Amino acid sequence: MNPFKMLRRAFVALALVIGTVAFAQGNLEINTPAISTLKQSMQQRHVQLAPLYASGAVGLAADGTVALRDASSVPLAQRGQVNALVAAENADRAALYREIARANGHPEWEAEVRKTFAQRWIERAQPGWWVQGAGGWAVRR
Amino acid sequence: MLVTALQAVAASLPPVPGQAGLKLELGRLAHPAATLEGLAVYIGGEKLPGAVELRRLIVSGHVIENLRFDCPRLEVGDAGVGCRGARLTIPGLLDDARVDLGFNPADRSGFILARDPQWGRLEARLHADGKAEVDVQALPLEALGRFVLPLAAYAAGGVLAGKLAYRSEHGEHVITAEGGGDAGRFSTADGLQAGENLQFSFALEARSRDETWHWQAGLDWSSGEAYLHPLYVVAGPSLRARGRLAPRRLFIDQAALVIQGIESFEASAEIDLDTARIGKGSVTVERIDLAQIGPRFIAPLVAPAQAESIRFAGFMDLGVAIDASGLSAFDLSFDQAGFSFADSALAVGPLSGVVPWRSVGETRVALQVDGGRWQELQLGAFGLKAVVDGSRVRAREIAIPILDGRLLFTDLDLVHARAGWSGRGGMVVEPISMKLLTDAVGLPPMSGVLSASMPGLSVRPGEVALEGALVISLFDGYLRITGLQVIEPFGSAPHLYGDIEARNLDLFQLTETFSFGSISGFVDADVRGLELARWAPVRFDAEVRSSPGDFARRISQRAVENIGALGGPGAALAIQRGFLSFFDSFGYREIGLSCKLSGNVCVMGGIAGERGDAGFTIVQGGGVPALNVIGYNRRVDWVELVDRIKRVVESNAAPVIK
Repeated sequence: MNPFKMLRRAFVALALVIGTVAFAQGNLEINTPAISTLKQSMQQRHVQLAPLYASGAVGLAADGTVALRDASSVPLAQRGQVNALVAAENADRAALYREIARANGHPEWEAEVRKTFAQRWIERAQPGWWVQGAGGWAVRR
Repeated sequence: MLVTALQAVAASLPPVPGQAGLKLELGRLAHPAATLEGLAVYIGGEKLPGAVELRRLIVSGHVIENLRFDCPRLEVGDAGVGCRGARLTIPGLLDDARVDLGFNPADRSGFILARDPQWGRLEARLHADGKAEVDVQALPLEALGRFVLPLAAYAAGGVLAGKLAYRSEHGEHVITAEGGGDAGRFSTADGLQAGENLQFSFALEARSRDETWHWQAGLDWSSGEAYLHPLYVVAGPSLRARGRLAPRRLFIDQAALVIQGIESFEASAEIDLDTARIGKGSVTVERIDLAQIGPRFIAPLVAPAQAESIRFAGFMDLGVAIDASGLSAFDLSFDQAGFSFADSALAVGPLSGVVPWRSVGETRVALQVDGGRWQELQLGAFGLKAVVDGSRVRAREIAIPILDGRLLFTDLDLVHARAGWSGRGGMVVEPISMKLLTDAVGLPPMSGVLSASMPGLSVRPGEVALEGALVISLFDGYLRITGLQVIEPFGSAPHLYGDIEARNLDLFQLTETFSFGSISGFVDADVRGLELARWAPVRFDAEVRSSPGDFARRISQRAVENIGALGGPGAALAIQRGFLSFFDSFGYREIGLSCKLSGNVCVMGGIAGERGDAGFTIVQGGGVPALNVIGYNRRVDWVELVDRIKRVVESNAAPVIK
């Protein structure tokens, strides 16, 4: 597939996940300046992460984070940068879950928000991406 | 003796057609080092050809099956026993290795020479004087991985070459080894521990004295790269070490690592071989060039998410001591060290001084910080003295100069636990000129001073709360900020909470400062439940109203227009237009505006009291001409409102009243 088309599809998936996740008790579409900034930061980073999802180097973990699951496909000299990218993405994701819970006026919902997002990230992963389920890591069909 | 017995057996055998003249079978031979199962030895034929079959060999848990050794020319004579052109096969491991060997029991000398296209070449010699040598050439690590499980787990590749020698000298056993590896590679399945194109050399000498081996070794890494999660390292480092190997205990008396960016790196350790734990150890690292070592080794370990953005400068020394219970002491020493974040507004340094720590007892931290920056604010030089006791840190006073004032932390008493820092203290801001402050942060110049007295500073993991008040005298009135609380101040999305009370702000100064037109009079304001996320407002309940009292109240045409503009398209001006063209300013009785921000929407209101229509009065006119400013759009998008305020403040266009 054309790499630009793949990137565009990945962007659409990201936007869908961020923008339309429905949360049983609260509003996950809620927007605040902090949430907006976090989304922007994540979307910018997604340009770098998308090829890593496609190669399987980085996968979508069951706890709503991303994980450096197979660094073998990344040149040695770049593995540290990929690790930094994963760490930065996870810091933003953790902040996003916290912010959405807080913006709903219920900081204690953070774990539930994280869980809901984790499910949606995995459900809407592109074919070929690696996702973590109950049975471990598997390629999304 | 064995050879003599074999000679006797062979001599006694009648000529037998075919191969075997004698077959010896041994069901099982067990030894702590190895176990042999299904061993069969064949001896027979005119030239005593022989063969050995071994169904199973177990060495250190590794199992080798169906080993077969065929000797076409088994030679037994006065020079001992030997075999040339033998073949060794192990299904799946050795297809057809050629082996020559010989042993002379008279002087206990012998040799083995093995060659295999896949395994390279191995030559071992035992000399009559007791010396022994093993020479290995082109030994492939990939093939060796089939025998050595750790190598297989790391998918090791490349070739090894080297010499191992033994001799007895002055009553000591001496072992030496030297060699190297080329085109080396390894990788765990997840790629988090991996190396490529590795080239290295090593040397070892060990001497036994009184059941203890005294050794010294060297390792030079000359080519290649490696990723040892989360660190990326390239060839260059070399290691020299010496120590002792006693029964069940390994002593590294001195190890020195040479690596670019560090002047000296020495370590020692005592390791219990039964448990593979360090019983005692120390590391001393001198003159660490932080600009070189920081990005490569410190940032990926300490702050991986910011690894790309942290900048280091200066030098650091490090001393670490370990005992059976773990880390027992460390000493950090800084020399003109500096740390900054490229994508945020925090910088510290240059700083110099020492940070000692002991697992038992108190130590004293003494640092001299020669500057820093937070946001747009430059911090002056200050000293930092603290007492450290385990995980507890106490500081009587830390005074950080900011512009013409100081930020004082007093009686800090903090404890670090797994979840983070917690504790108490106090904070004082000694008066800072608002003129200098506004100049520094790029705001329009304002007069007044900022000061704070917050005796109740409390810290919990991810949270800082300040009991007391921060007061800013401004525009001839004051702002009083209370209930300050910061959540995750250094996280991705810091939150700040507080309440603001403003009294008697001179509107003339305020509107002049922000180029808002001109309004004379005074206002009070209250902002309750203020919440900032990433320093942007997300929630508050704010109200501005005219201060009580008797004072002149005039509002310029431009200010009227600007207030109207804030109300958006729905805002309307109700003025006595007949008089408008004759006046630059108008009298007013009262000003009032409120905004309750939640969910990114500001619900606006005006002077208390409901109007008959849907609007709300922002300016209630008074005198002649009477002028009212009425807003009709109660729900305003916050981002749009902020944009309007920016446009109004930035606009220098002459006001137009329609």
